Amino acid sequence: MKALLPDFVLNIWMSVWGWLPPLMQYLVETTFWILVVMITVILAVAFTTYFERKVIGYMQGRIGPNRVGPLGLGQPFADVIKLLIKEVIVPGKSNRFLFIIAPLLTLIPALATWAVIPLTDTFVIADINAGLLYVLSLTSVGVYGVILAGWATNSKYALLGAMRSAAQIVAYEIAMGFALVGVLMAGGSLNLGVITEAQSGGFSSWFVWPLLPLFFVYLISGVAETNRAPFDVAEGESEIVAGFHVEYSGVAFALFFLGEYANIILISALTSILFLGGYNSFFEGWTFLGEGHFLREPALLWLIIKICFFIFVFFWLRATFPRYRYDQIMRLGWKVFIPVTIVWIVVEGVMAWMQVGPWRNLAG
Amino acid sequence: MTKLRSYIKTFTLWELWQGLSVTFRNFFRTPVTVYYPEEKTPQSPRFRGLHALRRYPNGEERCIACKLCEAVCPALAITIESDVGEDGTRRTTRYDIDLFKCIYCGFCEEACPVDAIVETRIHEYHMESPGENIMTKDKLLAIGDKYDAMISADKAADAKYR
Amino acid sequence: MSVDVVKIEVDGKEVEARKGQMLIEVTDNIGTYIPRFCYHEKLSIAANCRMCLVEVEKAPKPMPACATPVMDGMKVFTRSPAAISAQKATMEFLLINHPLDCPICDQGGECELQDLALGYGRDVSRYQERKRVVKDKDIGPLVSTDMTRCIHCTRCVRFGEEITGLQELGTTERGENMKIGTYVEKSIDHELSGNIIDLCPVGALNNKPYRYSARAWEMVQRESVSPHDCVGSNMFAHVLRGTIKRIVPRQNESINETWLPDRDRFSYEGIYSRDRLLTPRMKAGGVWEDISWEEALKKLAEKVRAADGNKIGILAAPWSTLEELHLLSRLAEHIGTSNIDHRIRRRDFSDQDNDPAVPSLGCSIAELESANAILVVGSNLRKEAPILAHRVRKAALNGCQVNVVNHSEYQYYFDINQHIHGTGLVQELAGIAVAASRGDISGSVASICDGVVPSAAQKAIAESLAAADDAIIFTGLIAARHPAFSAVRALSSAISDATGSRFGSLTEGANSAGAHLAGVLPHRARGGTSRANRGLDAAAIAGGSLDVVMLFGVEPESDLTCIPSAEACLAAQNFVVAMTPYAGESLERAADLLLPVGTFAETAGTFVNCELKWQSFNGVANPVGEARPGWKVLRVLGNLLDAEQFDYQSSEEVRDELAAQIGDFDAAQRYAGTRALAVVNGADSAAEQIDIPIYEVDGVVRRATALQLTPEACRSQGDGS
Repeated sequence: MKALLPDFVLNIWMSVWGWLPPLMQYLVETTFWILVVMITVILAVAFTTYFERKVIGYMQGRIGPNRVGPLGLGQPFADVIKLLIKEVIVPGKSNRFLFIIAPLLTLIPALATWAVIPLTDTFVIADINAGLLYVLSLTSVGVYGVILAGWATNSKYALLGAMRSAAQIVAYEIAMGFALVGVLMAGGSLNLGVITEAQSGGFSSWFVWPLLPLFFVYLISGVAETNRAPFDVAEGESEIVAGFHVEYSGVAFALFFLGEYANIILISALTSILFLGGYNSFFEGWTFLGEGHFLREPALLWLIIKICFFIFVFFWLRATFPRYRYDQIMRLGWKVFIPVTIVWIVVEGVMAWMQVGPWRNLAG
Repeated sequence: MTKLRSYIKTFTLWELWQGLSVTFRNFFRTPVTVYYPEEKTPQSPRFRGLHALRRYPNGEERCIACKLCEAVCPALAITIESDVGEDGTRRTTRYDIDLFKCIYCGFCEEACPVDAIVETRIHEYHMESPGENIMTKDKLLAIGDKYDAMISADKAADAKYR
Repeated sequence: MSVDVVKIEVDGKEVEARKGQMLIEVTDNIGTYIPRFCYHEKLSIAANCRMCLVEVEKAPKPMPACATPVMDGMKVFTRSPAAISAQKATMEFLLINHPLDCPICDQGGECELQDLALGYGRDVSRYQERKRVVKDKDIGPLVSTDMTRCIHCTRCVRFGEEITGLQELGTTERGENMKIGTYVEKSIDHELSGNIIDLCPVGALNNKPYRYSARAWEMVQRESVSPHDCVGSNMFAHVLRGTIKRIVPRQNESINETWLPDRDRFSYEGIYSRDRLLTPRMKAGGVWEDISWEEALKKLAEKVRAADGNKIGILAAPWSTLEELHLLSRLAEHIGTSNIDHRIRRRDFSDQDNDPAVPSLGCSIAELESANAILVVGSNLRKEAPILAHRVRKAALNGCQVNVVNHSEYQYYFDINQHIHGTGLVQELAGIAVAASRGDISGSVASICDGVVPSAAQKAIAESLAAADDAIIFTGLIAARHPAFSAVRALSSAISDATGSRFGSLTEGANSAGAHLAGVLPHRARGGTSRANRGLDAAAIAGGSLDVVMLFGVEPESDLTCIPSAEACLAAQNFVVAMTPYAGESLERAADLLLPVGTFAETAGTFVNCELKWQSFNGVANPVGEARPGWKVLRVLGNLLDAEQFDYQSSEEVRDELAAQIGDFDAAQRYAGTRALAVVNGADSAAEQIDIPIYEVDGVVRRATALQLTPEACRSQGDGS
């Protein structure tokens, strides 16, 4: 930073900074970091779409986008420009206010949740104790965007999509919640930073091992929560055209798009933090690397690698599985996932109490 | 026993892993995509692309307005009007093909008793304004004149299989 | 079982047949198809194509079904291997010299040879030698020839011999060199000769105006009725994308059998003539300008409202449809005028109160054939109504004595008993009347017959009529246009009374009878009831000085011949509106407002023919330009004038209303002849002035280009008439 800016600019900045009251200093600093995280996430979303198209392309023997810029890397920006300059058409008999506010309602929670995500062992925007609760509540708000969009459009396809989405999210939210209860028991805290710290100490101390079934339930529920294939009956283009966003175009559609991918990244991040130790290194316990070796230190890089892996899993699932039938989704959610999580919480409790195997070190 | 096996399979997501492994293996295969404008796949002389009306080597139109192509066209894409020509022969006064209706089945070519209407190998064309989808007689004849060498070569290559 | 009935077996099925019937008639009756080219049920049997060979038990060789009379106990096999191989062999011979030009042949798709070649032809020809080539003949503007295609079935030759009586086509040379032709190059000239197009089983004789313009399979066939004469020949219009491409006969044994006069067949060209009126036009300050329909009708309604009811005249053409005529008559009632007429070519209105309620032939068209004696008064019958002339010829061939009284001699291709001509009609008829009544003449015509001494020919006619069981007298159109029509009719009627003959008359256009029914007459209202306030007749309307004159389908110069120089008279009228398909020069000079209405092909309607048969038809072609069906135009005009009960939804509704209003009145109410004809009203005139050539009878025909190129049309134009 010092190298980039001339001295006098820095001097002015420092004097202004010093003159500010502490509250303002806090606000400015927080806002700065919020902007950094938000812009990073939004940029990540852009490249996630590119990543998705490439991954699915290769899995299908194609090469994906390759025309805009080198390797087609300009494609996301071309798409953004296209969406921005397209007209937003508001259907005549729709509820105008809700119609416009709905896409914002899906995007904002997906971005706001990042406030409590511990990106490194030292950095988190808001280090609050009830982090996990905050995450749960915000992801639940996201579904309102879908429902409102379906309702406000005043179209039967959109409404069908919204109802499907609502029912599906209610079903999977419960399974997801139970999975988080397992994590909560293991970490002994609602603070995501504490949960991550609880997983330090190497590969084997990640919660994924003692909570393996919960990990899968959480991951699959996450796919369902984000309305991604194979649980994308809310869009179901072959049956209900495009579901809740059938009448959306231009920027409004872009916001839905952004929200969906931001949610993918968020779910990937949460899965990494809750089950794969977040920013903890893969090589933490590898003593032959030597004490203080950078590969053993916790870092943002590890989190990013883990997030990327889960994003890849999302796309991998989409490329592999056909869409579930609606009743199958319901059956899976209510009759498989919820019993499995309940059973595993009991098992986890009993095991931790008896100090058996990998459960030995759990906080509970 | 089989029941137990199926329970184990279900709870270990065995079949899902199998499916995932298929896509995962494919992920590392070389894509088969052809880089279209730069690379092209080989084309058969029988390729059915844009239509053309041919002439005899002396410049006389082949088409005799028998309207068999119009009758055989399953998409009703061809419209012909005919009359007595300047030399007293049967000639078209209008020969329109609507490319939006055409399904490129090649029946017109098969029906033609004088090999007048042909489908060439040209497939890279576009329209920019309404009405350009109608290929008039003049346009079709112009295509026939321009690509005469290619059409003749294709016809000759395919002749022995007819 | 009568002795005339024999039993034969066809393909193992027992069939009863009349003795002496040809095998092919029997098989046709039971629906067993035997292929044929030269056989035609209306023509004599030639048995020269050999396509109908069938196997007959105990016969050593296959027999031609068209020329083998049935015998009791005969066993016939139409689909046996022997029959099929004989038919296939015949087909191979026929195809030896037939060119392979189906793609450019107009017969392609409706060709009997093509159809049968599909069933009986070989895939590949074994014939290696050169094919025969025959030079095409130019036989006039109506029929095109491609004589190489001819298979020598001689249907066309037999048609000339047997149907028209004028042998125009014949065969020359023989064997492979046999050719069909006119021998000396000339046009075929008979008014029915277009029928050889339909008769020809291949593409040798074809429709010349239609040449190369469409294909049989792409046209839609729609029923229509001819508007050009009072016969109302049934026909099919073949329509491609809303345009008539050709007209072919529609079989109706009671009217036109399978034939169609050239006038009906080729007149459709006139529908697409260049001087069709495409938009309403109005003369403003001597300059014509196009205006919209709305404007035009408003202007007309204004003029009509402003005018005094008695100062409005309506002249309708007798080829207008019944619906148009009915609406015109209703409109006239609403306006309050009786100045409405359709008799645009009649000169003598003096005896109009004695007109029959509806003029008719007095017998059905088919009945003409079975008459024993016929007297045709003042008619160029072959040109006025070719189908009736054909029926009369058939009667003559059956032994009927046909007599003709006329101004000048017209040619008939059959033996005529007595053909008197040269002097005036009245004079001739007076002689016959005296002869028929043996001097004991009384009543209205007595004064004309006073002192007339019948000639030998006149006596012979009277005798032949008196001697016949079934005699028919009818007056033609020359009589109807005659300046002394009332005297001609009175005398003809007197002859019919004296000889016990049936009496009738031919009428102008296709729908004079309909005009009488609809009350398009100044002295009679709908259904023949007398009008309280009688109006002006056609001559008086055309020559009077009225505020508004409405012309419906009438062109002053050519059609309005009831007074001399009708065009100038009309031009002098205050406001002339013409509802017409055409904008001729004559109309442009005479009229102030032109409204385009459709021709017979573009409107639904009904014609009432000379045997009082109502024949309804639909519009067959799309209207040209902004032309609209006449009944719709009149409907809107009625609405603009606030006429009550004028909201018709269809032409059928109009027709049914008229039919209901007329009820079942006595259609046969014939000429009564009560008015004393002390003097002949009008002079006997020379025939040329009142005969209208066959191809000039109405606007459509006058504009049919091919018909106007025929020798017939050239002759009449050369005469300057």
